[in-house]
Amino acid sequence: MKSIKQRYIILVLFLALPTLLIAQSYKLPDYTSFKLKNGLTVHLMERHSVPVISISTIIPAGAINDGDQAGLADLTSTALKHGTENYTKSQLDESLDFIGANLSTGASKEFSRISAKFASKDKAKVLAILKEIIVNPVFDAGEFSKEKSRLLVGLEQQKESPRSVIGSYFNKLLYGNHVYGNITEGTKTSIEALSVEDVKTFHKNNYIPNNAAISIVGDFSSKEMKKEISKLFKNWKKGGSTISKLGTTKITPVNENRVLLVNKEDAKETTFYIGSSGISRNNTDFIAIDVINTLFGGRFTSMLNNELRINSGLTYGARSRFSTLKSGGSFYISTFTASKTTEAAIDKTIEVLNTLHNNGIDEKLLTSAKNYVKGQFPPDYETTGQLANLLSQMFWYNFDESFINNFEKNVDNLDLKKANEIIAKYYPKDNLQFVLVGKAADIKSIAEKYGKVKQVEIKEEITSPF
Amino acid sequence: MKKIITVFLLLISLMGYTQMKPDDVQTFTLKNGMKFLIVEDFTIPNANMYLFYKVGSRNEHQGITGLSHFFEHMMFNGAKKYGPKVFDQTMEFNGGANNAYTRNDITAYTNWFPASATEVIFDLEADRISSLTIDPKMVESERGVVLSERSTGLENSPWRNLIQSMEATAFQEHPYHWPVIGYEDDMKNWTQEDLERYFKTYYAPNNCVIVMSGAIKFENIKVLAEKYLEPIPSQPAPPKVNIVEPKQNGERRITVQREVATPYLTIGYKTPEATSEDYYALSILSSILSSGKSSRLYSELVDKQQLATQIFTEYSESFDPSLFYVYTVTNKGVKHEDLENAIYKEIDKIKNDGISEKELQKIKNQKLMEFYNQVETINGKSNNLGTYEVYFGDYKKMFDAPANYNKVTMTDVQNVAKKYFSKSNRTVGVLKTNPNE
Repeated sequence: MKSIKQRYIILVLFLALPTLLIAQSYKLPDYTSFKLKNGLTVHLMERHSVPVISISTIIPAGAINDGDQAGLADLTSTALKHGTENYTKSQLDESLDFIGANLSTGASKEFSRISAKFASKDKAKVLAILKEIIVNPVFDAGEFSKEKSRLLVGLEQQKESPRSVIGSYFNKLLYGNHVYGNITEGTKTSIEALSVEDVKTFHKNNYIPNNAAISIVGDFSSKEMKKEISKLFKNWKKGGSTISKLGTTKITPVNENRVLLVNKEDAKETTFYIGSSGISRNNTDFIAIDVINTLFGGRFTSMLNNELRINSGLTYGARSRFSTLKSGGSFYISTFTASKTTEAAIDKTIEVLNTLHNNGIDEKLLTSAKNYVKGQFPPDYETTGQLANLLSQMFWYNFDESFINNFEKNVDNLDLKKANEIIAKYYPKDNLQFVLVGKAADIKSIAEKYGKVKQVEIKEEITSPF
Repeated sequence: MKKIITVFLLLISLMGYTQMKPDDVQTFTLKNGMKFLIVEDFTIPNANMYLFYKVGSRNEHQGITGLSHFFEHMMFNGAKKYGPKVFDQTMEFNGGANNAYTRNDITAYTNWFPASATEVIFDLEADRISSLTIDPKMVESERGVVLSERSTGLENSPWRNLIQSMEATAFQEHPYHWPVIGYEDDMKNWTQEDLERYFKTYYAPNNCVIVMSGAIKFENIKVLAEKYLEPIPSQPAPPKVNIVEPKQNGERRITVQREVATPYLTIGYKTPEATSEDYYALSILSSILSSGKSSRLYSELVDKQQLATQIFTEYSESFDPSLFYVYTVTNKGVKHEDLENAIYKEIDKIKNDGISEKELQKIKNQKLMEFYNQVETINGKSNNLGTYEVYFGDYKKMFDAPANYNKVTMTDVQNVAKKYFSKSNRTVGVLKTNPNE
């Protein structure tokens, strides 16, 4: 592979900045929206070129709602498929597999999502199942216990891959006790303590139609779909009306350089993040920041990849990202290098960040980045699944189709003066937060160069802020 | 029998509905032998260009292992008109992005761009195909990049190491013996001459198929192709790969040490290439075993018996006979030998009792959904058309695939299980913390 950028994009499709933009008047296809009496928001968009339908359901039940039971939202979403009032687990699995339908559930920081994709002729079957698992799951104790033990082994296995765990360390370092630092998949101790009753209670309290949305895109008639959805979900009981304010608590700002060194005895590389706090999704400079980040660390010829990969061969890839949530976000640079080139790679990374601040960018680069984000925009909204996702995001982050329809105009409006203001305002200069996953014996003295070092073992679990 | 016919008719009618038909693919071949497949699709104002070169690690030998993949990287490092870095800078300035991948058999280059940039893309490709410059300085820095790519793959997944070791054991003579990324020592020692020879031999227009989909017009593309790519001279056909892996006549086993939570296990059965008459039945067999939670191996070994935490199988297209893979991770407190035996027991059930009609129908339904997913995007169209063209010898086989899957009977599936899933035809790899146990 020439580069791994695609893989990164897939991983962060929902939470981070999509690579935006393009071209000659790309407009969001028409869609309709309505709300049921119980508060459930519904978006419908017809697309008839392939006989499939995609659904994205968003439930306000994420890791921020875990309380002190890390992993509860995620495990609850998985357990939705363990059987319902009208289907056993194996009936669910068999019915969906038989028609080649994909139905997946999962939690992220702020919400849970139930997604489905299937042939349009199977719409009645899949909708009935979707409703069942969201509204009437039974949370079978036997299935729960099996799931839990698989998850526990999975958590241990995750530690075999620095890339899989570094994000959780970084979030904990950056967000501290704030709910955005919650570890979505949980930890060994927190998962061991969870019972099927906890999951039932979590479902009861959080899977409520008000503040939830279902977005359906594909080969159907909106008129008929509206009838079907209204009928299916009308008895879903409304819950308390206030939306969780958990995320809006102030995030304690960092006021010094800190280095979290995660020791992995058998590591031959150092995998690292360097970052700081970022922006929320509703930041009015969202698009401008995306353009600038494209130049800094968002594409193949970006400043970071140019220095760390192309010019020096220190790594296979270096990137930067603003990961955005409703009430805040993070900024981080991510890369990896052989243990013996750790210092060279970190120094180079910091140098590139300083260059961005000191030299800014020029007109030609800005034009290039603008063309790039515009050119790469439409393929992000091509499939029924991508469009259903987009409608979900619009609901959750409270933006509308003008984001898509005015995207090109907004990109074009970014001038050099504003671009350089964006750099000064949003890119960190000091108080950098470092996470290094590698062999401590080889890199500890290097780590000390960059700030106050706290060392932990990768085999230990993350129990409290660092 | 009646049921199968009904479903077949349904498939035909559904396929008509997708608006993607064999007739939607228009083709031409330049005088230098370079073949084009074109799909006009104006859903989004973008287009792509996928270039498939018939060269991969299969064309290497010891001493130059990994060279095909390294060459893939070097194709971005400068030619006559667009020097080092300028290929990517120019593409990105024009709103385009790119990537590339190397497999055992082929190397593919992928360009994604706003349709308005189509001519620039032709100019860029023509430059590097006709006059790549292999700058020794770029060779050295790029060597670091691929060494890092190799190392990060090994660092982040136990599978990489285990699969490489298993394949090296399964293939004793054929070039599938070594990994696409190459051996570390070869990677450090490729020479300028190796690269130049590779370029001349394999990067010839007659060794390449180009697929383009998107908001483009066939006639315009043909004009651009004639202008930019036809002047590039063809080359003698690349040397044939003559080595045929001798028949395996006994089980082979290998153990790999790495610190892991629980042992990882892989099994490879020798199976035939993409053009074999058994291809479709084996592909269905793979889905029967591991596609979805109701599949044989998942439901029995992960769910019911809880011997494994994950289980997958894979059988994919190749030029030469390759492997049918089983991958699994042992559950806590379970002996990997018990998991392995349980897998054989499930396989024996299929060999002895076959599969049910419902199971077969399930997989056919899944295959149709796979097909829809493949043709839902312009990138899916180009990638799949090109894959069918180079691996199956004809892009039209992509459209025949639903019907070819439909022809497979329960007996066919049982027969391929009997034919290939024997003890003497398998290689087993185990990765664990303590190999002395």
